Amino acid sequence: MKTKKLLRIEAAAVAAALALALAAGCAEQTPEPGNVSEEVSIPVILTVDSSTGIRNEEKLINAFNQLYNGRWQADVEWIMETEEEYRQNLKRQNVTDTLPALITDLRMLPSFYYMMIEDGRIEELSKYIEADEEWKAMIEPSVLASCREEDGSIYLGPISTAAFACSGMFWNEELFAQAGIESFPETWEEFWQCCEQLKSCGITPLALHTEGTAWAPMLIATAEVASTEEGADFMQQFYPETYQNESGLRIAKTLQKLFSYTTEDALYRDFDVAYENFFSGQAAMIPNGYWMMDQVPEKWQDKVRFSAFPENKLISSPETFGWAIVSSYSEEVKEGAAALLKLRTRMNMEQREELFSKDPSEMIPAERDYIAVYKNSPQLVPNYQVKWNSILQEDTLGEILPELVQNKMTPEEFTAREDESIRRFLEEQ
Amino acid sequence: MKKTKKSSGIQRKYLKYTAALLGLALLLSSLGVLLTVRNQMTRLIVDKYEYMTERMGITLENMFKKTDETTAECILYDDVQQSLQTGGLEEVNHISLSKYFAYIDLEHVADYCYVDNKGNVYTRSYSDVSYEDIKDSGFERYLGDDYSKTKWFWTKDTLFGTEDNALFIGRYVRSLDYAHEPGMLFFKMEDGFLREVTDISPDLTREAAVGIVDREGQLCLSFAPENFKTGESVPENIGEMVVRKMEDQQVLSGEQVTGGVLSVYRDETSGLSVFSFVPDRILNQRLISVFLVLVAIYLLVTAVAVVLSIYFSRRFTKPIQVIKETMTEFDGNNFDRTIGLNTHTELDEIGRAYNKMLKNIQRLLDEIKAQERELRAAELNTLISQINPHFLYNTLDTIYMLARINGEETTMRMIQALSKYLRLSLSKGSDIVTVEDELENVRSYMEIQQIRNENLFSYDIDCCVDPVNTRILKLILQPIVENSVKYGFQDIYEGGRIVISVEEKEGNIYLNVYNNGTPIEESVMEKINKMNTMPVSELKNCFEDKKHGYGVMNILTRLRLKYGDGAGFYCQAQKDGTICTIKIPGGVGEKDEN
Repeated sequence: MKTKKLLRIEAAAVAAALALALAAGCAEQTPEPGNVSEEVSIPVILTVDSSTGIRNEEKLINAFNQLYNGRWQADVEWIMETEEEYRQNLKRQNVTDTLPALITDLRMLPSFYYMMIEDGRIEELSKYIEADEEWKAMIEPSVLASCREEDGSIYLGPISTAAFACSGMFWNEELFAQAGIESFPETWEEFWQCCEQLKSCGITPLALHTEGTAWAPMLIATAEVASTEEGADFMQQFYPETYQNESGLRIAKTLQKLFSYTTEDALYRDFDVAYENFFSGQAAMIPNGYWMMDQVPEKWQDKVRFSAFPENKLISSPETFGWAIVSSYSEEVKEGAAALLKLRTRMNMEQREELFSKDPSEMIPAERDYIAVYKNSPQLVPNYQVKWNSILQEDTLGEILPELVQNKMTPEEFTAREDESIRRFLEEQ
Repeated sequence: MKKTKKSSGIQRKYLKYTAALLGLALLLSSLGVLLTVRNQMTRLIVDKYEYMTERMGITLENMFKKTDETTAECILYDDVQQSLQTGGLEEVNHISLSKYFAYIDLEHVADYCYVDNKGNVYTRSYSDVSYEDIKDSGFERYLGDDYSKTKWFWTKDTLFGTEDNALFIGRYVRSLDYAHEPGMLFFKMEDGFLREVTDISPDLTREAAVGIVDREGQLCLSFAPENFKTGESVPENIGEMVVRKMEDQQVLSGEQVTGGVLSVYRDETSGLSVFSFVPDRILNQRLISVFLVLVAIYLLVTAVAVVLSIYFSRRFTKPIQVIKETMTEFDGNNFDRTIGLNTHTELDEIGRAYNKMLKNIQRLLDEIKAQERELRAAELNTLISQINPHFLYNTLDTIYMLARINGEETTMRMIQALSKYLRLSLSKGSDIVTVEDELENVRSYMEIQQIRNENLFSYDIDCCVDPVNTRILKLILQPIVENSVKYGFQDIYEGGRIVISVEEKEGNIYLNVYNNGTPIEESVMEKINKMNTMPVSELKNCFEDKKHGYGVMNILTRLRLKYGDGAGFYCQAQKDGTICTIKIPGGVGEKDEN
C-alpha cells in the first residue's frame, strides 16, 4: 500500500517537475523594459573659429551638459563658417523650417530679427526671466534695456554683460614702437598722424575688409562720426531715414580715408582676412570687441594692446550677441534652451567678476588695457549693426564700399546708394 | 502441460508506470516544444516580414527627406525668393520659373503648381490652374500651422482637375528676409512614386500584401500577390486598423489579426504608414515542415524509450525473478540451491541474507534431528529400565526380608532408602513432582550416601513452601547433592554438612543446596554460571569431558526446556563451602500436563 502511494507521489512529482520545466521552456523570454532616457535634446548650431579652430562657446556647452545631465543635452552642431555665413544660414534654415532651438547673432540682422518676431518664430522670454528671480538678479539693467523692445517684450537673451560688449582698437605695440610711437593716439587728429607715421615707416596701419557688413572699418568710421554731437545723435537713430547728410558723408569720407591705410587684399574680403593680417604682423591695428581676447594667439599676447577709439569712444550694443529661442520647438526644449541662456548669463557674470578681481599681472596686456578703458568712463557709441537696415548692411555696403575706397564712387554717390537701400527696405517692409 | 512464461509483476508495474510517465512526459514536452517552436518560428517568419516592412518604412522616410531637400532648394531658389519680394518677377523670369519646377531633382512628378504671395501662379505651360483654383482646392489647409514644413497628403485632385486620388507634396514658401505672406508650392505625384517603396522588397510582395495608409486611414497604396487565395484578402478596415494601432507607436511588430499577421511602420515625418499583411497560410506552410520533423523525432524517441524501458525493466527484474524462483522452489531439503547475484544493488544483500538464512535453517534442522535421536534413545533406555520395575521392587523386598531375618540393620536401611529413591526415579511419565516427593527422593539418596560413607556428612532440609502443593521438575536436587558429596567432600572424611532449603521469593521458587566442603573452583563456577546465558542447544557442548558436568548440564537443560530462559542454575563459592541455587520461575509451578 505504502509502495503504491509512494509511486503515485513520485509520478505526480515527476509530472509536476516536467510541467514546470516545460512551462519555463515555453515561456517567451521578453526583454525587461529598460529605463527609457528622458533626456531632452536641445539642438544648437555654433561656429568654429576658422582662424584658431576654437569652438565658440564650448565651455558653456560642456558646463550645461554637465549641469543638466539626464535632463537636457545641448546637441551642438559645430560648423566652420564665418559669422556672415552663419547669419545667412539662419535665414535659409528659417525658410526651410530647420532652425535649431537656440540661435545666436540674430540681432546683427535687424530686418530678419524683426521678421522673426512678426512671424512668431522666436520666443518671447519675459515669462522665463520673470519666473526666475535668480536669473533676473544676474542680468545687468543696461543689458536688459537693450534687449527689450519698445512694447516691453524681450526676444533676445540678456546674456551678456556690458563689460564684454565693447569694441575698440587692438594695436601692435611692437610695430608702433618700430614707428617710434609709444602710445595709442588720443584724438582723431593724432590717429591720422599715427597712421601716416606708420605708413611712412613701411608699416600698414590698419587691417580692414569690405565684406560681412564691413565690420572693422565701420567700427572706426562710426566711432569717428560720434565725435561730433550731430554724429553721436545720428548713431543713436534706429533705421536712419537718410545717409545723405553731414554724418553720412563724414562716415563715407572716413571710410575712404581708412582704406588708404590698409592692406591690398582688404577689398571683397571678410573679417577673417583682416584678422590674419593683424596677427601676422602685416597691419598695426584692427578694431574689434572684447571677445577677441580669447582669439589672440599666445605668441602675440605680449605685443597686442587695446585702446578705446580716439576721444575715449567704444562701440557697444550688448544685444548684438542676439541669442534667441526658436518658437516651433516643444515647451520642454524651449525650457532647456532658456536654461542654457541663463547659464550663459551666469558664466558671463562670473567671468566679469573674475576679470575685475583678477590680479592685473596675470592678465595679458590687452586685457589689462580693456579693463582700464572700460573703467575710464568711455563714450559708448551704438553698434551700427543693430540700427541700420539689413539691405544696406548685407547687400549695399559690400557693393559700394569697394567702389568708394577705389575712388570709383564719391562720398555723395555712396550716401545716395545707402539711401536707395532704405527705399528698397521700406518697399519690402 | 504447456509452460507459459509469465512476466514479472514488478516488471509489468515498472513498464506500466514508465509508460505512463513517458506518455505524460512526451505529451507535455511535445505540447511545450510545439508551442515554443510555433511561437519561435512564427516570430522568426514574422520578424522577416517586419524587417522588410521596416525597410519600406525607412525608404519612405528617405523619400520624404528627399522631397524635403528638393522643396527646400525650390524655396531658396533666387527667382522663387525674388517672386516673394514686393517687386515680383518680370515676365521672362516668370516663364523661366514656371519651367524650373519641371527640372527639379524629383521623379514621378505628375504635375506641379507654385503660387507666390501676390497670387501669381507658376505651372506647366499647358496647365490652366489659376489662383482661384488653388484657393478653391482647399489644399492650403494641408500645409497646416507649421512655418514651412514639407507636407505629404493623400487626397482627391481638385487642384489639377483630374479628380483622382493622389499623393501631393506641399510647402509654404517664405521670404528669406522679410515678413511677407508666404507662397505655396504643390507637387502631384504619380502612383509610381509610392510604388518605389514597395518595390524595394520583392520577396515581401511575392508572399504578403503590402500597402500605405495615411493619417486618416486612407489607403494610398495596396498590393496583394496573385497567389492570394480566396479568403486571404487584406482586412477591409485595414486603414482604420492601422491608424488605431499606430496611435502611440512607430512600429507594430507582427500582430495577429484576423486571417494573418500585420506589421506596420509609421513614418512620422510624412504621416504615412507602410503595412504588410502575411496570411496564415504562409506562416503555416513554414511551420508544417518543422512539425513533421518534430513528429518524426518524437516517434523515434518513443520507440527508443520503449525498447530501453523493456531492456532495463528486464535487467532490473531478472535478479528479483531469480530470488523469487529460488525461494518459491525451495522444498525444505535442498539446501545447496543458494542465490548468487552480482548486481551491485540491494538485491545482492537480499541474496546473501537468504543464503545465510538457509544455512541457519539447515543447522537448526540438524540440531533438531540430533535432539530427536537423543530423545528416542533416552526414551528407549527408559522403556528398557521400566521393563519390569515390579520385579525390581519384589527383589528388593526379598533382600530386605533376608536382611531383616539376618538382622542386618544397615542393609535394611539401605534397601529402604534405595526403594524410596527408585520410586521417584523410575516413576513413569510424570516429569513434574511435588516438592515433597523431590525432597523424599533426595533424602533417600543422601541416606544411601551416608551408609556408603559413614560419618562423612550430615544433612538438613528446610522447606519454606507448601511441599504438597508446590510442584517442580523432578530429579533436579539429586545431581547437585551427588556433586556435593563427590567434589565438595573429596578432601574430608567426616564433618561434612549438606543443607537443602526451598523458598519462594517474588513469585519464584529457589532450591538451595549448601555444602561445607571444598569451595567450587573459580573457573568451574564461572563456567556453570555462564551456561545460564547460553542457548540450550549449546549446553551439551560446555563440558568436553563427558565424564564431568553431565549432571549440571542435565539439570539446566531440563530446567530451560521446561521453564524457558527464566529458569536458572547458579553456583557460589563461599569461605566454608559452596551453595548451589536452582531458580524456578512461576511460583508454585504447574502440574505436569502429562
